Amino acid sequence: MSLENLIEADVLVIGGGLAGCFASVKAKEQGADVVLVDKGYVSKTGGTPYAGDTMVFNPEWGHDLDAWMEQVSVLGEYVNNRQWNEIVFKESYDRFKDLESYGVKFLEENDEVVRLPHPLSTLDMPDKDKFPPIVSQVVHWLPGWGEAIRKHVEKSGVKLMERVVICELIKKEEKIVGAVGFPVDKEELIVFKTKSVVICAGGGGFRPPGYPTHELTADGVALAYRVGAEVTGKEFVSPMTVGSLEPHPGWESMYEHFSSGHSAALPGAAKNVPFLGRRINAEGEEVPHRGMSWHGWIDVHHEIHAGRGPLTMDGPGGRKISINGPGAGGSMHGHATAGIFSADTDGNVGVPGLYAAGDSLGVQFVGSTYSGFGFATSYASVSGARAGCAAAEFARKCGDGSLDRDRVEDLKKSIKGPLERKGGFSPRWVTEILRSYMVPYFVMYIKHEDRLKAALTNVGFIRDHLVPKITASDAHELRLAHETRSMVLNAEMKLRASMFRKESRGNHYREDYPKRDDPEWLAWVLLKNENGSMNVYKKSMPEEWWPDLNKPYDERYPLKFPESA
Amino acid sequence: MAIEKIDHDLCTGCEQCVLSCPMDVIRMDEEINKAVIKYVEDCMYCGFCVDCPEKAITILPGPTQSVTLGWG
Ligand SMILES: Cc1cc2nc3c(=O)[nH]c(=O)nc-3n(C[C@H](O)[C@H](O)[C@H](O)COP(=O)(O)OP(=O)(O)OC[C@H]3O[C@@H](n4cnc5c(N)ncnc54)[C@H](O)[C@@H]3O)c2cc1C
Ligand code: SF4
Ligand code: SF4
Repeated sequence: MSLENLIEADVLVIGGGLAGCFASVKAKEQGADVVLVDKGYVSKTGGTPYAGDTMVFNPEWGHDLDAWMEQVSVLGEYVNNRQWNEIVFKESYDRFKDLESYGVKFLEENDEVVRLPHPLSTLDMPDKDKFPPIVSQVVHWLPGWGEAIRKHVEKSGVKLMERVVICELIKKEEKIVGAVGFPVDKEELIVFKTKSVVICAGGGGFRPPGYPTHELTADGVALAYRVGAEVTGKEFVSPMTVGSLEPHPGWESMYEHFSSGHSAALPGAAKNVPFLGRRINAEGEEVPHRGMSWHGWIDVHHEIHAGRGPLTMDGPGGRKISINGPGAGGSMHGHATAGIFSADTDGNVGVPGLYAAGDSLGVQFVGSTYSGFGFATSYASVSGARAGCAAAEFARKCGDGSLDRDRVEDLKKSIKGPLERKGGFSPRWVTEILRSYMVPYFVMYIKHEDRLKAALTNVGFIRDHLVPKITASDAHELRLAHETRSMVLNAEMKLRASMFRKESRGNHYREDYPKRDDPEWLAWVLLKNENGSMNVYKKSMPEEWWPDLNKPYDERYPLKFPESA
Repeated sequence: MAIEKIDHDLCTGCEQCVLSCPMDVIRMDEEINKAVIKYVEDCMYCGFCVDCPEKAITILPGPTQSVTLGWG
């Protein structure tokens, strides 16, 4: 094995969004030697730079833990992880203080950090009184916050390697001992030999037009799944609608902040929140927000299905924004919910030496619906810090390992495969085919056994016959090839989990099972690789987290799905 | 929805746009020491490159991806 491209460290952190920055800084503070690798440039890639706000819970600001917990449980429809909810709420203030100490500036008025309510709490909508009070609050960071964090990561002595894609983990005797990747602009492989690895590679969608997270291709989940970790939450979708020809409606207003020279969508995005505006269908009728269902946007898809789309909303500057989108089966993942499963509270994912945080970690923080503004970033900060500390601790205790050279050579060969193939399929073409199976509203939003099965048949064909023959002419395309492979795996996960959960809940809507089924489905769906095939099973929620089953169904679930409304 | 143009009269070759493009669309042309659009088909219209200190970059919202990708 040529060793010129060997990087050694105690802890490897994959992905430098908020989760990865916290993981690497905290691991470093514990005395570990840390390398942070990102396929882009930290502060300009992943979901993190777009976030405008972060949730902070602080009893001194009058916040009541029980009320916050109730908000997540009712909106998340009781499949949220209450243990993690409490942890993140309680630790969010410390992470906020950390960010201040790293030089991040927050929106202030009269020397006080401005705390803003959840926009839903200010919206007028039918049935509002049936929901618990929406109590969570956010603070807003000011432009430049991403750069401030990046500087702090560098200053703290973390070794930063950017524009490097990680595409395989190395496992030896059941333990993770490193990873293999390559620079996006050089056809050479880099081997990492480390004592523990923290996956902070974000979530993943299917590169829909108009939603700027095309680098988020579920690589982290794919890496972990291939070495035997469980994955959860894949049936839950993200609400972000996308048009086939236009940007996501929220994105248009955020984009204005970019074009005016900001590197963060802030703070105007919050004032604008166009995706909460009045929605008018093609017949000129208002489609009211139902309860808190904008998170699922399932009603929007019903309007579209009925032939009354596209819907429009008032956008910034009096412009009409068209919501003609087929939805986020393609745009985002169910953030702060889906990902690599951990039964622990430190991001350990059940494979020795392997940890995860942020959007890569699946502890079902919000359950079936994203229920609070700013939750995703707080969760990324808190889980990142926890996973970083735990990975450093693991590294301290485990002795110096060695790499299995044959295994590494095999991995290197398969990673470079697309470069060496003489003929085959372009990764862009395979992605486009995949996207056209996964993005339509009738696959990932209004689901039905027949259509899920049909999509799965096609995705299975792509997996077996197209992915193994993807070609690449240079390192840039090699990256696309590996990303496409991750997306195909993610598609299979989303389809299998969606077929398995035979009920509707939150933003998982099954036309053939349009109601919640509490006796069967107060449970999480798990996926695991068993000898090359994807096993699907469920894990029941602790009984103390269940809703009161003596209450009538309509009281337990104030949000009506369109059919039952 | 894609990057349209890098104005070489304005570009000073600082490489900021190359680093900040999450999709690796932009690369340096080493011979002329200017940034060039290399993989336009992968542009996702995020706008990071527009932060160019010389304002040399234009991106446009028009459609670049096929309609088969969505339903309408
Ligand atoms: C438009 C938009 C607006 C949002 N607004 C808000 C908001 O206002 N408030 C809020 O709380 N949340 C918001 N979110 C969600 C929030 O941004 C994310 O949930 C959160 O930032 C996730 O952080 P993370 O560190 O887990 O992942 P990310 O920030 O996505 O970081 C993942 C990193 O991993 C890298 N990576 C991925 N794969 C690889 C690989 N194979 N090798 C190397 N590196 C890799 C990526 O380049 C990226 O830097 C928003 C998201 C979007 C897209
Ligand atoms: S950021 Fe602007 S000046 Fe710098 S290389 Fe890019 S185009 Fe040229
Ligand atoms: S808009 Fe975004 S993806 Fe397109 S070239 Fe600029 S930085 Fe890259």
